[in-house]
Amino acid sequence: MKTIEELREKIAKTSYICGSCGSCRSVCPVYREIGWESSAPRRKIALAKEVFLKKKEKQATDQYAQRLQECTLCGKCAEICAAGIKTRELWLNLREDLRARGMEHQNLTQMALQVKTTHNISTFPNENRLDWVDDLDEVEVEVSKVGSEVAYFVGCVSSFYPMSAGISQSIVSLLDRANVHYTVLGSEEWCCGFPLLASGNSEQVLELAQHNVAKVRALGVKTLITGCASCYHTWTHEYPTILGEDLGFEVLHATQYLAGLIRTKQLELGNIDETVTYHDPCDLGRNSGIYDEPRELLQAMEGLNFVEMPHRREMADCCGGGGNLAAVDKELSQAIAVQRVREAAATGATILTSACQQCVQTLQMAARQEKLPLEVLDVTELLWRSLEE
Amino acid sequence: MEQALQKICGSRATTDPFELAPYAHDVAYVPAILVNLLTNPLPKAVVQPISAEEISSLIKWAKQGKIPVTVRGGGSTAYFNCIPMKSGLVIDTNRLQGFSEIELDQGSQKKMVWVKAGMTWKDLDDGLRQQGCAVCSSPSSAPSATIGGWVSMGGLGIGSVPYGPIHDQIMALRGVTATGEIVELSRPDKGPARNNGSEQSGLQFNDLMGTEGTRGIITEIKLLVRDVPEKEEHLLAVFNNETDTGAMMSWLGGEHFTSLYNVHFSSPEFIMSLQKAGYAHEIPPGKYSLEIDLEGKRDEVDQAVAHIRKQVKVLGGTLLPDEVGAEEWADRFKSLRLEQTLPSLLAAEMTLPVSNFAAFYERLSKLGQKTNTLCVTYAHLVSPDMALVMVLYPSDELNLIRYIVDLSFTSNLYKLGHSLGGKPYVIGFWNTPYLGKIYDKGERERRRQRKQAADPHAMLNPGKGYNPPNIILNSHVFGLAMIMIGLFRPMVLKILKGGQGQ
Ligand SMILES: Cc1cc2nc3c(=O)[nH]c(=O)nc-3n(C[C@H](O)[C@H](O)[C@H](O)COP(=O)(O)OP(=O)(O)OC[C@H]3O[C@@H](n4cnc5c(N)ncnc54)[C@H](O)[C@@H]3O)c2cc1C
Ligand code: SF4
Ligand code: SF4
Repeated sequence: MKTIEELREKIAKTSYICGSCGSCRSVCPVYREIGWESSAPRRKIALAKEVFLKKKEKQATDQYAQRLQECTLCGKCAEICAAGIKTRELWLNLREDLRARGMEHQNLTQMALQVKTTHNISTFPNENRLDWVDDLDEVEVEVSKVGSEVAYFVGCVSSFYPMSAGISQSIVSLLDRANVHYTVLGSEEWCCGFPLLASGNSEQVLELAQHNVAKVRALGVKTLITGCASCYHTWTHEYPTILGEDLGFEVLHATQYLAGLIRTKQLELGNIDETVTYHDPCDLGRNSGIYDEPRELLQAMEGLNFVEMPHRREMADCCGGGGNLAAVDKELSQAIAVQRVREAAATGATILTSACQQCVQTLQMAARQEKLPLEVLDVTELLWRSLEE
Repeated sequence: MEQALQKICGSRATTDPFELAPYAHDVAYVPAILVNLLTNPLPKAVVQPISAEEISSLIKWAKQGKIPVTVRGGGSTAYFNCIPMKSGLVIDTNRLQGFSEIELDQGSQKKMVWVKAGMTWKDLDDGLRQQGCAVCSSPSSAPSATIGGWVSMGGLGIGSVPYGPIHDQIMALRGVTATGEIVELSRPDKGPARNNGSEQSGLQFNDLMGTEGTRGIITEIKLLVRDVPEKEEHLLAVFNNETDTGAMMSWLGGEHFTSLYNVHFSSPEFIMSLQKAGYAHEIPPGKYSLEIDLEGKRDEVDQAVAHIRKQVKVLGGTLLPDEVGAEEWADRFKSLRLEQTLPSLLAAEMTLPVSNFAAFYERLSKLGQKTNTLCVTYAHLVSPDMALVMVLYPSDELNLIRYIVDLSFTSNLYKLGHSLGGKPYVIGFWNTPYLGKIYDKGERERRRQRKQAADPHAMLNPGKGYNPPNIILNSHVFGLAMIMIGLFRPMVLKILKGGQGQ
């Protein structure tokens, strides 16, 4: 782990590269809502340059801190950056520094305490992680079963929020239908740590990573699957770095694993007579490079008319729910989500799918708020619906 | 002030110092000591209007209080073009978004759209492509440059070879005059519009072409668009020396291929800097590269490719595999990646006759060697016989003395360019000392008359584009100062071991 001095040195060097061209400006969902230059990525970098390269500490004001935390970490600025700056990494480093200065948003400090206490982001005890299983009649979910082929890491949102329980229920139902020997960790599953990483609190993630990896290793599974795009990103991109070693098992997003089952005909899908579009979660698409499998799954359902949104794949727009934005400014997060559901509705789709519990939750709320004739579902929920129907 | 502005723009007006601060900056770094000596760049207020009506009210309000008004689009220029020189009000156009349905002109059979001034060129192109159309040309800053911004600048960029400067593609425009009148102006040769005589009063169509927001404010333009081309090919040819590369550029311009869309030159130093940052490894070191982009009808593209392949061979060049050209094209908006190896660059940009490109490059190399300066060059062909050349060289903004002496090298570059028919590409504030190199006396006088006619109270973007606004920027005083500062440069570079970057 880097010392704070090393981190600040890194920020200084990165900020020096920025040419202030502003290519990152019009793609940034936050800038598009706020509109003032102060919210554009280039201005945040310019301030970082003042603070870290030119040592003008006075520029690190509360407004600076607020702007740094008004970011979904969607990574679109990195995708377009004319200077090739890994801006998402820079935002994370800047948030680490904010914490070190004691300038972290109070809701994030509260969230970190919550995770420390319950090992999840909700206020429920971690023993309630499998409450969503109670509604399953035909599927028996085995917990921490050694010797299983696959472990399913459920993620906090679809473990604790009833609105998202359909995702975990669909995933286990699909695995069951395909006769996969899977298991879950139950109360031994701890938050993956993504919300902490996103608030610049990588220190606290170490314990979570060590715990989760040890528990999965103990099961002896070949494969770990996650239904959440951010959990997936954390397991594949962050844990190996944080722990400084290979995990020793493969990690796949549920859509990747299910696409494999379809290809080998271990799972056959049903019919859906709907027009459907797909929202690329930032942490699965742009930040992890997975674009094809969710689309492959959707197109494997007979009768389904698949339509793309103008902003898709590498240039997909964010749902507004990333980077802890809702904890810092809920209205801003919701305003970004509204833009995205409007884009989805404009395609003529009746169903908007995604492959992330957070995206689905955020977009569902926005579609409801806008009273759009648009159902928002996880890809896995739609897959299971095709079989149920 | 805030109250008055909020009456017009609601919450889209601010006087919060934290919000105002970014509007005192553009792409280039200029030491505060120089900025504060010559300008007062921090606006008193910034507004983000959403309509011509709001802009009209803002202008009328500013006129009453004699408050200077500066328009800002993407802020992607480098010569203080969109930075207030005398504080005042900044009108940020970024909320003027959207474009109309594509219209087909029955007479000319050309397609066109009305597009709002605050849209970026990339957003417009992306939007048009969903409907099977595309912009004809765009700047290589398309993700950040706004419609109004590029029209108010030189308007040369990618696609200028077949379609000319952006000014040739505008059929009509809507805007607001310096008195707050909302106007619609057609192209002079197209209709009832007022003509372009310098004696005419009021705002004329040409007053808004390349005049950097000094005569009126563009709110919307009627732009020619094209169908998405049937076929694209992106070739990357490398050559052994500047002579062959220059000859190839001239040949490409002279052949008048209908499908020649863009030609982009990268010097070996530019390629080396990219390679140090981990890019462009497919290009052999030490080579001069030309990216040749062809777009159009399938057979026209195929024919041009066949001819180009032959000519590359004739000139001793090599064509790299197709993927390399495709990748270069995909990265066309990423020229700043070289800042990863050279983070504090200074630059001079000029238009230059293509026939003199090789000579320019040869003399530039000598100048670089003589002054121990790493010159990193890239260029676009912007007409059959003209190139837009960018020369970058490393400095260090963390070292004030080094930075100031390095600034003097820009005038050496313009001098070199001028000796070969080159002209600084933009004026803004910092290039006002070079006005005499850009326009002859008659043209300067005509420009002044038009400014006087369109903006008699010099309210719009004062200090830009006409007379040097300060004695220090007078061409003689400035020229002498640059020579003097330049004399110290070798010594400073020697002491600081600069010149070649860090
Ligand atoms: C990486 C990079 C590549 C570039 N490539 C090119 C290129 O290929 N070709 C090129 O020409 N330039 C290029 N530029 C320079 C610059 O990006 C362009 O000139 C661009 O068009 C400026 O647009 P903008 O919206 O950023 O304008 P701004 O910088 O905001 O403003 C430029 C000028 O236009 C005026 N203005 C802006 N909007 C309006 C309006 N609505 N009405 C009246 N006046 C207005 C401003 O007052 C100012 O004087 C490049 C810059 C960068 C950083
Ligand atoms: S990561 Fe997304 S939200 Fe954050 S600055 Fe970049 S584009 Fe904006
Ligand atoms: S696109 Fe990259 S180089 Fe340009 S302003 Fe944004 S961060 Fe800086």
